[in-house]
Order: sequence, then structure tokens, then C-alpha cells
Amino acid sequence: MGSDTDTSADTDTTPATEAAPELAADGGTATGSDTASGDDAGRAGLKARAKWYALSYPLFWLVAVFFVPLCLLFVFSFWVNIPGGQYEFGFTFENYLRFVSVDFTSSWPFIEPGLYLSQMWLTIELALVTAVFSLLLGYPIAYYLARMDRPWLRSLLLITIISSLWVTYVIRAYAWQVILASGGVLSSIGVATGILSEPQSFYPGYWGLVVGMVYVFLPFMILTLYSSIRNIDGELLEASKNLGAGSVKTFRRVTLPLSKNGITSGMALVFILALGSYVLPRLLGSSAERTLPVLIEQQIMSESNYPFAAAMSIGLILVVIVFLWALIRMTNVTAGSLGGNEEVATDGGSQQPGSTGSSPFAKVRGGFGSAASAIGLTAVAGQIGSAIDSVVTRVDAKTRESVIWVTFRAYVAAAMAFIAVPIAIIIAVSFTPEQFLTFPPGGFSMQWYVEFFTSESWMVALVNSFAIAGAAALLSTTIGGGLAFALDRFDYKWSSIYGTFGVLPILVPPVIIGVAFLVFFLELGIAGSRTSIIVAHGIFYAPFPFILISQGLDEIDRTYEEAAMNLGASSLRTLRTITYPLIRANVISGALFAFILSLNEYIIAWLLSLFLVNTIPIEIFNSLRYGYSPTIAAASVVFIALTVVVMTAIDRFSGGIWE
Amino acid sequence: MSGISLAGVKKRYPGGVLAVKGVDIDIESGEFVTLVGPSGCGKTTTLRTIAGFETPTDGSVHIDGNEVTDAPPYERDTGMVFQDFALFPHMTIHENIAYGMEASGDYTTEEIDARVEEMLELVELPGVGDRTPDQLSGGQQQRIALARALAPRPKALLLDEPLASLDKQLREQMQVELRRIQQEIGITTVFVTHNQEEALTMSDRLAVMNDGKFEQVGPPEEVYNDPDSRFVADFLGTANIFDGTVSAVENNYAMVDCDDVSVQAAVQNGVSAGDDTSVVIRPERFRFDDGTAGNAGAASADGGTNAGGMTVFEGEITFKRHLGSSVEFHLETDSGREITVVRRSGMDKRGPGDRVAVSVAADDCRLVEA
Repeated sequence: MGSDTDTSADTDTTPATEAAPELAADGGTATGSDTASGDDAGRAGLKARAKWYALSYPLFWLVAVFFVPLCLLFVFSFWVNIPGGQYEFGFTFENYLRFVSVDFTSSWPFIEPGLYLSQMWLTIELALVTAVFSLLLGYPIAYYLARMDRPWLRSLLLITIISSLWVTYVIRAYAWQVILASGGVLSSIGVATGILSEPQSFYPGYWGLVVGMVYVFLPFMILTLYSSIRNIDGELLEASKNLGAGSVKTFRRVTLPLSKNGITSGMALVFILALGSYVLPRLLGSSAERTLPVLIEQQIMSESNYPFAAAMSIGLILVVIVFLWALIRMTNVTAGSLGGNEEVATDGGSQQPGSTGSSPFAKVRGGFGSAASAIGLTAVAGQIGSAIDSVVTRVDAKTRESVIWVTFRAYVAAAMAFIAVPIAIIIAVSFTPEQFLTFPPGGFSMQWYVEFFTSESWMVALVNSFAIAGAAALLSTTIGGGLAFALDRFDYKWSSIYGTFGVLPILVPPVIIGVAFLVFFLELGIAGSRTSIIVAHGIFYAPFPFILISQGLDEIDRTYEEAAMNLGASSLRTLRTITYPLIRANVISGALFAFILSLNEYIIAWLLSLFLVNTIPIEIFNSLRYGYSPTIAAASVVFIALTVVVMTAIDRFSGGIWE
Repeated sequence: MSGISLAGVKKRYPGGVLAVKGVDIDIESGEFVTLVGPSGCGKTTTLRTIAGFETPTDGSVHIDGNEVTDAPPYERDTGMVFQDFALFPHMTIHENIAYGMEASGDYTTEEIDARVEEMLELVELPGVGDRTPDQLSGGQQQRIALARALAPRPKALLLDEPLASLDKQLREQMQVELRRIQQEIGITTVFVTHNQEEALTMSDRLAVMNDGKFEQVGPPEEVYNDPDSRFVADFLGTANIFDGTVSAVENNYAMVDCDDVSVQAAVQNGVSAGDDTSVVIRPERFRFDDGTAGNAGAASADGGTNAGGMTVFEGEITFKRHLGSSVEFHLETDSGREITVVRRSGMDKRGPGDRVAVSVAADDCRLVEA
């Protein structure tokens, strides 16, 4: 006990100079030395406080500004709507009853789901159909990419796939309008080849929408599958061949089972993204294809029925939760690790290729894998493979191999064209000299670029887009980086929960985030401002810097920081001269990711704009209502070019994060 | 005045593990002390306590007469060389070495530049200042790490297994180099290693650590030749250890009855008949009794005979291996005991299967607690 007193005395006499968070790896010292008897004296006390200071900033945004409004949405869904755009405090199930209402009919089964229930089912169906088609189309490409041995071609294809990911949904939906419209690409080709007798429009409609959705979400599927197949040890395949199995058999018995985890996580990712998609159903679907996000937006922007929109949002969240719950239940994951599991699902969702193959990601894939076998997905795929196998075994081995290979490559080429051509068409259209959309363009002209750059509304939108994206990227980086730093440096009892908050925003369908923020910001009186969009984007995209910076901090060798402090550098100086330079690439990449995503985001910005703020995606979307002026194409090309510039910057800073 | 002193230092980790269970040592100014022990013995924790990366749960740390028990690392004036060197990868060699002086703020740019050159001369790597760490070999990085640690004129040099990541030849070269530089500057040095050979060759004193405590502290010869405990005997070098009971003590020599053999051993600290004890015999203390086996009384059936202060073992060579300057033999005595014998190379042609007799003098046998 005597020495206990000594230590306390020593603690008191120590100059308490370091207010900055202690950087040393002895994060547990505070809890370890009970001799300081719990008071705030000395280093231990300072550190105990620093740990909460560090956490308070990110948690302020993620909990007070994000999570609380999201919860309020739930409360809000019970409020009473007053027709005519007003609502008042109350408690009613009316909104939910309207959502789940059914129609009675005179014939069997005498009862039919009402408009909202059937549209909810349609939303789920569309998401499933999109996921299945993405898988069928994406697997061969992913397989080809993972197994090819020409690095330059692989990089080229990967960059093409990833590039299309960053282009706003609005531009990509527009590309498909150009292709599918009457007088569009497909129709023109049909007429020219005599298949169609007269120009015909292939949209809006169910299949036009499916094509657009698959187009938009396919890259997510390919990248998830790609990293999964890449992780399969090449020697396993050689071993299989060495044991006498042909290509098809090796694929069916080795590659496919080993990539089933990738298949499940890819399916889950595409399903969740498609479920929350607003832009595509709105631009490519007819009124019959109004999905839940479209209906929610309509209630807000046209009907001003906020409580009902809130109730539908809760319905959509429930679908996501039930889906995730089913996924987790079908795996061996315990309830306790649910947070971590969601975190990993998001890791996949974020699709920043740098983090693929990290161990939590792999862990979740393991979970998803069991789920996959549970739903029999793999079995079906296996049967198809088996059928192909039995057909092709009748031909001799050599012919068989080469036939498979040629067919396979032709298929990959077609799928790659599917990914690349729409953007190419937009670029071609932007140079048309004609007043209206025609394909092929009858000449070359820069007039639409001139119009774009001289139009005041386009320029205002461009400036807005950049201002919002820049500020949002800064905010995202401070939130994500602050949380990553706090979680990395200090021990918290509930650190996995705090970590879940760091990735939660990206799990929530953006339309719901938009609605939650709108309701909240209306109360605060800042809705309809750039600030409101900046805050919303800053929080929504915080998971990207959070994941990247966590990864960077995780990889830092702590010894560097110890060496710096041993040489006399204070905590702050160590942070500035050692820690930050070592994770700078991650910080900047995270910020640029947030920047580019914010730049391209439509629905949240639209809901919060209240018609007062224009961004490029909003401006393009609005222009689409009035036809297909080639100015839209020119605006899209400028925007894509800017996106490519930022992506190149990310690549430069991160030293090839694409791999 | 002592360079570094630890008094009753204990360290308990948050999980409850007591890594250091109370160590006391006074390290003289300019002394080179090695902490040696198996992994997990607490030696690195002890060093990190001196550096300030760990705060002791109990006890106190003084450096150069000042209490630093709870001081942060950057207020302690120690220079540390890390196992993997930890040269800042985003800085040049010059910037690395200058880092500590810049952080202190006590030096002008000219002074820093001059000091960096001086340090590069000291470690015999002039002219590499503009390179980056990854352009240097492991041995060069090691020297730069040393230069960086010494540049701000620390009061103590702390070395955390700095030679462990070097290959054998380089390691031996650096052992000599490190000692040369340390003596040239005369800096108080604490060196942590799990390599007993390094501990024996480099230190003024070494502290053998086991299970969070010092087993023995002393000059290398003393610790090697007069181990205080069975652990120390076993950990440093090779030891033949026979457990037995003291049957008689006479004129500072004890007869120890080890079941199959009686060994006569010199007594340092008091033992008396009936005590359980262990006899430690270093392998190089044995001598072959060339063709004279059985001269001093017939070998008894139990394989060991007391021959006038000598203990003789007879048996067969089961294994032989060359260690360069010496040869190691494994013997199995007639009673089934394993003995390791080391002799200089080139002395004999004995090999596996040969019957031999080896003897050891009573003065070369040490008693430690069983």
C-alpha cells in the first residue's frame, strides 16, 4: 500500500502538459493503474478525458445529427397528416393502415394487396431480378478478369468497370433513355436493319427498367465476385487439373464452391442497393413501376404528406432489416457480432477495392456463403454447370476447351460492351450538330458545349455541385477520420457499436436519409440550403473515409510513433510529423471518394433542395422532363470528365488502389 | 550517481497479467547492462517502462537522478533503437537523424546539420543523408537507427533486440560495432535480448530475467560460471544438470548422491548433508580420460566414480556435431544418463559408437538449488 501512495504522489507532481490525446500504445494504462484512485489527476485522468473528447465530435454528427432524426422518422410516422401539406403531432396508425391496405374483390381470392403493398412487392421483385441478372452477367466477367494473365488488359477493364460506378445514376439512366427511346439507338438500328417497321420506344417499362438497373448495379457484383475469385489459390485449380478434371469440372467442383461467398455477398449488396434505388425506376419505369422510393419521394415532393412518407420509409427499412436478419440467421453469426457483421456488409457495399480481402470482409463472406447454400443458389448454379459439362464431354477434349474459351471470351466482350457503350453513346451524342437527339449523330459540333458553358443555370449548378461536394468531403473526412482515430487509439467498452455508427449511414437507403434529414432540417429551418445538403452528404458518405482511415491506422507500425516520442516529439508533433504523413494517402483517398460520390448524388440533394438549390445531377434530371436536349449530353460529358480527373487523383495518391 | 535505477517496478496489464513482478537494479553511469531472458519474461516491458511507453503499476524509475516514473516518453531523454529500427519511411536519412534535435528545439539548423554529419561519421556511413531508409541494407538501417537515437545526446541508450532481424554474420559484426560506439561515447545502455550469446559477449553486467523477475544480476563470467539457479544455468549456454541429495560436506566439497552416480562439487554457499540440490557442469569442463579409464579404482557398475576430486563417467558416444572451433559430443552413460561434452576441434577422432570415459574436477561442478 505504501508504494501505492508513492505512485499517487508521483502522479500529482508530474507536469500535466499533454492535453492532446496520448499517442502511445499504452492505451490501457488509465484502466491499468488503479493507483491513481480514479480521480482525474495526472496522465491517467487526462487520457480518460481525451478519450471522450476524441469520440464526441464524430458521435455528435453520427448520433445527434443522423441517428436521432432517423429515429424521429419512426415517431413521425405516427403523426397525423392534414391534407394540403400540413401535419400535426398525434398518434395514429392511419399511415401504416394506408400502407398495408388491401382491396376486396368479387372473385377468388376475394382479396388483393392494395397499391402500396403491391408496389412494395414490386420493389422487392425488381431488386431480386436485378441481383439474379447481375450475377448471371457478372460472374463470367469476374471470372475472366480474375484468371486472365495480361495485367494491362485487366487494369483497363477494371478501370472501365469502376469508372462507370462513379457516374451519377442520373446520367446513366439518361444513357439508357437515349438507347431505348423511340428515335434512340436501338430503335434506329432496328429500323435500319428492317427488324422494326417503324421507330419504337422500349421504355418506360418493366424490362427497360431491369436493363437499366442491371447496368447500374452490375459493377458492384463484378467487383465483389472478382475479389472473391482472385482470392482462390491458383494452385488449387492446378491441383484439380492435375487430378484429371477438365476446365468445366474444375470450375464446377473447385472455383464455384470456393466463390459462393462472393456470390452471396454480391447478391446481398446488389439487392440492398437496388431496393433503395430511386433514379432508375423514376426515369426508366412507367407509372406501373413506381417503386417504394419513388412513392416516398412523391409523397414528400408532390403530396407533402410527410407522415405517410415516414411510414413507407419505415416499411422500406423493415425490408432491409428483415433481409439482413435472415442473412445473419442463416449463418452461424451470433447476435452479439451483428454490429460487426453489418459493418462488413457495408465494407462490401462501399466497394472501395482497396479494402477487399481484408479479414472482416472475408469473415462476412463466410457468413454469406452459408446463407447462399441455404437458399440453394449454389446448387442451381452447380446443376447448370453439370448440364453443360455433360453436353460438352461428348466432344473431344481439345475442341471442347477451345470452343468453351472462344464462347466465353465472346460473352465477356459482349458484357463489357454492355458496360462501356452507354457512356460512349452519350459522348457521341454530345457532339451532334442537330437540334434533337438522333443516332448516329449526323456530324460534329461543339455547340452543345458552348451552350452548356454559357448557360447561367448550368454554371450555377456546376458551382453548387463543386461547393457542396468539397464541403461535404471535408465534413465526411473529419467525421470518419475522427471516429477512426478515436476507435484506433482508445479502448471503449462499446467500441463495436461506435464502429457500427461509422458505417450505418451507407446501409440506409438514400431516399430515407433524405426524408429524415428533410424533416429534421425543416424543424431547424435550414432545409433548402446548400448547408443542409452538405451536412447530409457529409454524414452519408462518412463511412468511406472512416473505412479507409481505419484501415490506414490499422496498418501503421506503432513503433514509428514510439520512436518519434522517444526522440522527444510531443503527441501533437508526432501526429503531425509521423502519423498523418503515414496515412495521408488514405485520408486523401477517403476525402476524394466522398467528394466524387457527393458530386454525383441525386436523391438526397433533390429532397433537401426544396427547389431552391440546383446541382448538376438535379439540373440534368429536371432537363430530362423537357426532352433530350443534347446539352444534357454535353453536361454529362463534362461531369464524367471531372469525375475521371478526381478518380485519377485518387489512384495517384493511393498508389493503385484499384487493385 | 547512477545512470538508471529501477526500484520495485511492477507492471500489471489491463487484462490482469502481471508482466513485471518487482525488479530492482541500479545501472551505473556509462554501464552496459543486458536484460536477457526467454520471450514473455518481462524484459521488453521493463525496457518500455524505462522509455516511458509503459507506466509502472508500482515502483519508481529514475534516469540520471531524476524521477521519471510517470513522465511521458518525450520528456525522458532516452534514445531507443527498435527491433525493426522504425526509421521513418517518409523521411530521408538526414531527416531521420535530425528529427530528435528538431523536436527538442534546442538546436540551430547549422548545429543540426553538423551533428547529423558527425553521427553518420560515428556509424561509418558518411554521405547517405539524402537516401531514404528503403535504399539501405538491414545493417545500414541498424546503424542509422543507432545514429538517430544518439543524435539528441540522450542520457541513456535503450536497445530493444536491435540485432534480432540481422543475419548471423552481420549480427556478430554489429555486436562489436555497437559495443565500440557505446564505449566511445560512454553512454549508459540497457540492451534487451533473448539471445544468450549476445548477452554474454556484449555486457558489463547482465540481468537474467524469468517470469517477471531478475534471477541473477552480475558480470557475464560470474553469471555463466556461478549460476545462482537452475534456470540461469540452463538458460545461459548448455548445462549438464544432475539432481541429487547432499550426502556429506567436507572441506568445502560436497558429495552429491545422484542415484546412479556420486558427484563431488565445490561448495559456495552453505549446504549440509541431506539437502536436495542440483549439480551444474558446463560441457567444456569435461575431459576425455584417454585410454586410462579404470586407473583410479575400477569403474563401478553405476557408471560414475569418484577419483580423487574427479568424477568419472563411462559410456558410449551417441552423437557428434561440429560447431566450428569446437565439437559437441552426446554421451549415454552406462546407467542411461545423457551428457553433453564440448571439446576443441581437431583434438580427437572419437565418433558415435566409441566407448569413452570423461571426467570433471570438483571445482568445475557447481551446486544450485534443486
